[in-house]
Amino acid sequence: MNIVVAMKQIPDLQQVRIRNRQPVFEDVPYTLGNIDKNALEAGVALKEALDAKLIVVSAGNEELEDTIKEALAAGADEAYLVIDDSLDNIASDTSATLIAAAIKKIDDVGIILFGEGSGDNYSGQVASRVAEILELPEVGYAKEIELNGQSLRVTRSLEESEELVEVELPTVITVVSEINEARIPAVTQILKAGKKPKEVVSPHELEIAIGSVQVTTLSNLAPETDRKQIVVKSVDELVKALTTEGLIGR
Amino acid sequence: MDFGFTKEEALLQKMAREFAEKHIEPLAEKIDQENEVPKEILEGLAELELFGVPFPEKYGGADGGYAGYVLAVEQIARCSSGVGMIMSAHTLSVGAIGVFGTEDQKKKYMPPCCQGKQIASFAFTEPGTGSDPKQITSTAVKDGDSYILNGTKRFISNANFPGPIVIFARESESNEITAFIVDKFCEGYSISEPWKKMGMHGGPLLDVYLKDVRVPAENVLGQIGQGYPILQMGISFGKVGVSSCALGGMLAAYEEALKYAKEKTHRGAPIAKFQAIQLRIADLAMKYEASRWLTYRLGYLADNVKNPAVFAKEAALTKTVVCENSADVARISLDVHGSYGAMEDYKISRLYRDAIMGPQIEGVTDMQKMIISGVILKG
Repeated sequence: MNIVVAMKQIPDLQQVRIRNRQPVFEDVPYTLGNIDKNALEAGVALKEALDAKLIVVSAGNEELEDTIKEALAAGADEAYLVIDDSLDNIASDTSATLIAAAIKKIDDVGIILFGEGSGDNYSGQVASRVAEILELPEVGYAKEIELNGQSLRVTRSLEESEELVEVELPTVITVVSEINEARIPAVTQILKAGKKPKEVVSPHELEIAIGSVQVTTLSNLAPETDRKQIVVKSVDELVKALTTEGLIGR
Repeated sequence: MDFGFTKEEALLQKMAREFAEKHIEPLAEKIDQENEVPKEILEGLAELELFGVPFPEKYGGADGGYAGYVLAVEQIARCSSGVGMIMSAHTLSVGAIGVFGTEDQKKKYMPPCCQGKQIASFAFTEPGTGSDPKQITSTAVKDGDSYILNGTKRFISNANFPGPIVIFARESESNEITAFIVDKFCEGYSISEPWKKMGMHGGPLLDVYLKDVRVPAENVLGQIGQGYPILQMGISFGKVGVSSCALGGMLAAYEEALKYAKEKTHRGAPIAKFQAIQLRIADLAMKYEASRWLTYRLGYLADNVKNPAVFAKEAALTKTVVCENSADVARISLDVHGSYGAMEDYKISRLYRDAIMGPQIEGVTDMQKMIISGVILKG
């Protein structure tokens, strides 16, 4: 069986500076998102338990061939990459189309893992779109994945509760960061990452036309909230003010 | 000329930084106070293969070269100079076996050291000698197929960890300084309590006592009488590690100054707005950048040694500039902190104690200058 982990190349957020309230991406190296690394770690655990092969799938610009070495160092056996310089800032639907097309080229895929959202835009759409395209079930927000014969028992971390579901393979799973602690690769794993098998294709080879539709970020500032500037002098006044605002005592 | 890192080098640096921030930084104060590195940290370094970065895979190493090694040690020492010093002294000692050892010696001693199962030492200095090998008084008397070693060695790093120690002693038949590989804690080997250093706590320095230590003749490292070239090469490689440690400490002090300058306010404005602080920040950046590239270059040179004397000069030059800059940077950062810098509650006070050790170890600055000018004037 092959296990696929889909990962996204993003700017290293720790090195992004802010100038004039805008992020500056100049000279910022690419990396892989932290939750994607959790998905990879979950994939490595399943790979070891199932004696499967772990293939990382990703789409991005030319830098991706270098960036993906992080995943190959951290336990992926192979990489399948869709590379084209037009793949910067593409919309989630285009990403999903590319990732799904790439996965279709891989035989015997049993489990497809994603992080719950990418490290940069965090739209959280790609996994569901891929599941829909591939007509597979999807289990979202996994905090625990357990093998159960030919199926998986997945504990989902929901906002105020947990849900235990069982799913047949093949399936798409998204993981939350609590699922594990991503490993730090050792020196030889890093140095040998570049020697692992890697297949690089263009969108054209997957018969997908990207077109000129790219996402343009108009603003990525948090919404401004006006403070009410109400000053109280006692707890009684505070309670009264909160009650007036309808925040307590309803 | 390309000053960029390969992806692999960048990942190695990132890996060491991540490990250090996650596992060393939270314990850095404890290491400083207790003068001891918890074994979990040493096990973590071993798991990531950081005890064998520059050595060939054939002997258990990671084959990452000294260029990779300097990147790793800088990041480790950024969180704890003491941990960096353990790596540095260990790598210098294993490196000496790697360069001068027989195939059997390399196969026996290098794999456990590279895997971090053993930690190596290098014992040259004695109570009566600093950097002058002619003054060595430890003796190695031939007795059949063995040598009997006696003497005292001073300020020996890692002498308290099991593993090999390279010991320099005067061989009885030739009366020449010769290097021997000795298993620490063999019969007749004993150690003092660790020296109470002013900084770099956790990186242990001890005295070693040799009383009738029997060493098989096959444990002679290199040739009889080859002690000085082994020593010269060993300490040159040691300066790669010491420079990297000083660089890591310097980076930490620089970062502390930047952080403090942005956070600390005076009359409502961060002190970074004041020219006196801005000038100091520029000094920190200049000293760090100059030191960084000298150290990375030394890593490259260590991977490509053609002439040991020229390498010795480059190593001495780098060690001097970087350690002096590291002490300067810590002092400037301390100044940025004002009175708070003198308080032990502030990290900069520890970084300052660590940094001013640099020019005093692995050959003091004056000694380094003698090496530099000696090679230059010889032509």
